[in-house]
Amino acid sequence: MSNKLSSSVPTDREVVLGILNDSEDALNKLYTGYFPMILQFILNNNGDEDDAKDVYQEGIIVLYNKIKGGNFELSSKLKTYIYSVCRRIWLKKLSQQSKKTSNISDFEDVMAVEVDLEQHEEKDKQFDKMQDALLHLGEPCKTIIQDFYINNLSMQDICEKFGYTNTDNAKTQKYKCLQRLKKLFFQV
Amino acid sequence: MRNEIELEGIIEDYLNGKLSETERTAFEQLRKNDPTVDHKVVAHKVFLESFGEYANVLDLKARMDRAHAQIDVETLAEELKPHPSFIINIWRKNKAAIAVAASFILLTIVTVYSIQQNTKQIGSVELMSREMAKIKKSQNGLIRIINAKPGPNVPNYTKPANFGGTGFALTANGYLLTNLHVVDGADSVYVQDNKGDSYKARVVRTDSQYDLAILKIIDKSFSPLSNLPYRLKQSGIGMGEIVYTLGFPKDDAVFGEGYVSSRSGYNGDTTQYQVSIPVNPGNSGGPLLDHQGNIIGVISAKEKQVDGATFAIKSKYIQEALNSIPNDSLGKKVAFNKRNSLQGLSRNKQVEKIQDYVFMIKVYK
Repeated sequence: MSNKLSSSVPTDREVVLGILNDSEDALNKLYTGYFPMILQFILNNNGDEDDAKDVYQEGIIVLYNKIKGGNFELSSKLKTYIYSVCRRIWLKKLSQQSKKTSNISDFEDVMAVEVDLEQHEEKDKQFDKMQDALLHLGEPCKTIIQDFYINNLSMQDICEKFGYTNTDNAKTQKYKCLQRLKKLFFQV
Repeated sequence: MRNEIELEGIIEDYLNGKLSETERTAFEQLRKNDPTVDHKVVAHKVFLESFGEYANVLDLKARMDRAHAQIDVETLAEELKPHPSFIINIWRKNKAAIAVAASFILLTIVTVYSIQQNTKQIGSVELMSREMAKIKKSQNGLIRIINAKPGPNVPNYTKPANFGGTGFALTANGYLLTNLHVVDGADSVYVQDNKGDSYKARVVRTDSQYDLAILKIIDKSFSPLSNLPYRLKQSGIGMGEIVYTLGFPKDDAVFGEGYVSSRSGYNGDTTQYQVSIPVNPGNSGGPLLDHQGNIIGVISAKEKQVDGATFAIKSKYIQEALNSIPNDSLGKKVAFNKRNSLQGLSRNKQVEKIQDYVFMIKVYK
């Protein structure tokens, strides 16, 4: 099994360069390459397929941020890093669910990743805060904000999409939405 | 309200670096002078960064979901989930521990085994009687089969196999001592002295406990020997004592010298000495003498695979074997000379005298 696994896995260098270049292909290869490893770990430690997906995606995000942060040094194999991060995340989730975390079955080497995870948790909190704020913001504000800031739609587009009579109205609407969102975001 | 919207537009442009040089300087001046504007700029910056982060993660998640959709999770899970079998689970989880335990056990076995090897003399003893013409026999066997084929009425033709050993005179009138294993199962026994004369002999007594046999020369042509030059040493002999033997591993007498290397024999057998002396098949039954010409034992065996481990039955047990034999069965009590005429003689003189009393035993089975 492990042979099959390693054959479909890209080299560590490929992955790092791919991520820095925002390559979709590199992400795909990375994702499919190491997922079985984490799936095996989670399945053998009181988790199911969905847990594996959540933990794995979180682990990849940690790796992504680390590479994008520019201070990524390949001091160990990428495989070991991903495994260690996911392992740590899953252990934390297990303890939060007050399930036993002793007698963990390990399949790979483990390295220390605590510092990276602390940073990640901080960012994760921000992410949750933003998600909550947007949820409370409600429609159509949420879509307007997302269209403007994420999908990079122009005011003109938004005006047409939402049927405002002129862009000034749209701008006013967007301003109001943004103020509310900021309020929600900063107060939570 | 309108001003607020305008201001936010400017702040956004400022943070995105869309303002022209002059506009930027003017705005920075405004920031310095008006703390509320400055606060708004900072707050908006933090917000935009957080929002950008949020957008990135959202995007990454979406891409990962697309990648995830390509994976056949169910099949993989089937393959990777804990095996229903308890044993296989244990094996998967504890591969390393099991490997360590197994190698530990293996190491222990090897260690114990080698310790046993060292403390115990392993290796079988090889009795030193000579099987003569072994090749001849096997050839004869072939001939016999061929001869036997033509008809069942042809009488069986077998040539007796020849075995050889060594013996030495116990008395002047023709009693000899040799190993029981030399003459065991013999049809007829002949002895040959160093002049080459053969005499027929008869096994008169055997002692299977000490592997000893007493022969009597029954040939009429045999003339009694002169008085025995050696005597049987009753007391034990120490380690390192130089000893020698005379035997018939071939058709002529062969002299061999060595030393007593241990006061016990094979596997701690106290009835034997261990002697470091070169012997070969045919030496069995030969006398073992010390430097004064006292018989201290009878060569009986050597250990296979071990160099220089020859075993000799102690003279004390020769005497015991002799004593246990009823006097009448020997006809006359066997008694060694009290005097040892070899004492003080040089080695070659001793051997010269002894060789008349050492016989080759030829056994037909």
